Amino acid sequence: MNNEILNSDTLKAVQDTVSAAKEEIHTLNNLTFDISKIGSDGIIITILGYVVVFVALVILFLIVNNIKNILNFNIKSKLKREGKITEGTETKPEEVMTGEVNAAIATALYLFFEEAHDMENTVLTIKKVQRPYSPWSSKIYGLRQFPKR
Amino acid sequence: MDILIKLEEGFEQFLRFTSFANFQWEHGAMICVGLFFLYLAIKKDYEPLLLVPIGFGILVGNIPFFEAAGLQIGIYEEGSVLNYLYFGVLKGIYPPLIFLGIGAMTDFSALLSNPKLMILGAAAQIGIFVTFIVALALGFDINQAAAIGIIGGADGPTAIFLSSKLAPELIGAIAIAAYSYMALVPVIQPPIIKLLTTKQERLIKMKPPRAVSKVEKMIFPIVGLLLTTFISPGGLPLLGMLFFGNLLKESGVTKRLADTASKPLIDIVTILLGLTVGASTQATTFLTPQSIMIFVLGAISFMIATAGGVLFAKVMNLFLKGDNKINPMIGAAGVSAVPDSARVVQQLGIKEDPTNYLLMHSMAPNVSGVIGSAVAAGIMLSLLSGIL
Repeated sequence: MNNEILNSDTLKAVQDTVSAAKEEIHTLNNLTFDISKIGSDGIIITILGYVVVFVALVILFLIVNNIKNILNFNIKSKLKREGKITEGTETKPEEVMTGEVNAAIATALYLFFEEAHDMENTVLTIKKVQRPYSPWSSKIYGLRQFPKR
Repeated sequence: MDILIKLEEGFEQFLRFTSFANFQWEHGAMICVGLFFLYLAIKKDYEPLLLVPIGFGILVGNIPFFEAAGLQIGIYEEGSVLNYLYFGVLKGIYPPLIFLGIGAMTDFSALLSNPKLMILGAAAQIGIFVTFIVALALGFDINQAAAIGIIGGADGPTAIFLSSKLAPELIGAIAIAAYSYMALVPVIQPPIIKLLTTKQERLIKMKPPRAVSKVEKMIFPIVGLLLTTFISPGGLPLLGMLFFGNLLKESGVTKRLADTASKPLIDIVTILLGLTVGASTQATTFLTPQSIMIFVLGAISFMIATAGGVLFAKVMNLFLKGDNKINPMIGAAGVSAVPDSARVVQQLGIKEDPTNYLLMHSMAPNVSGVIGSAVAAGIMLSLLSGIL
């Protein structure tokens, strides 16, 4: 009896394995390269999709490329009105505003304002600091008083 | 005597519930894959922030258990903790949150200072569409092909987002493929870049990027959002969050929010996403011929995207003169694996000429690739929703 159950179980397991293997072979067979499977929808999506991605980023490029001109328009026209710049003397912002130049200016300003210098002043003085008396800063109240024996 | 019999039955039941009794060779194979991911992350330092959660997730997902008992422990069993966490992947909740963090971390200065490099981000998206066609030719249905194609964008969150909408049955394989290839950028891209460029081209020095004003940086996320989502509303969850995160950073008045989005939030979501994507590779449902084919297609997609970017940069150079010429290697950064591919280009540049720093230049196509792949995902979503 046990053997029969065992045999039927084993048979079922084998059948399951075989059907699973068949399914995998079927899937693998389906995954063969065949251009005719592409269809018109696929071609439309490919062309349209890629063109739209390109167009979106090209438009964004055109807008971003002109943002600085739009932002600088007011400043330029104001400077022109004041006669500080003329048509010939305009400089391109790229020429004077590179990251390196900015870094150099920022470093120079930092060194200047922080008074960092190559020559160290060797004369050191001690400043007398006067602190007016206040009970808040009083040594009498600030230190622990030990009992006198 | 009864006690002994019950003890034996109990022991048998215990054995039936152990992983040893439920172990199949597929589990072993996937555990090896998980260990390999951990090795790559820890020893080789390939994208450890992604590969450690994914690699460990693969181990978690492939501990065999007695599935028929309905213990609610597997990721595909309704009601299990992992299943609840996986909900964020299945419903595409995590990817927009990741994009929020990416936006809050990204500095678009490089892109704004040299906007023409933005087009390289579009060129590299060719990987998506070529793979889409190849997947269709291989017999995948149109939704599955679109979800597989997006691996070529080299953008994990976008791949998960699109596959959650179009082919949820393939989400595990697609996510693993996308993240694996993102981590393997330093292995995949250099040979393709070298193959397609000459020594002379690799030595091209680009002029330093100009300084970008604060106003420009603030305007960009607003203009970017309006333009890209009006063209491709399907990408709204991703693009909306990306540009929102960037505005939080650039506005300067929401520093706390930007800090939260770029640090704790993205870290939490990365942990949950990585772990659940890894765990979704449960051998009994994951190891199929389709998954293996998706891996192959993902690699092809990634290579085509890299080649597309580099070749387009060379084409652009035909029209550019003097110091406006671009180093074609930065075209490879058009795939949106931020900042890995930019880092790869920088390293290759340094190797050719130790004074040639390409990192900032390659960040421009890199972040533009993020926008490009999200736009592509949106277009796929819109077009396929219309067709089907």
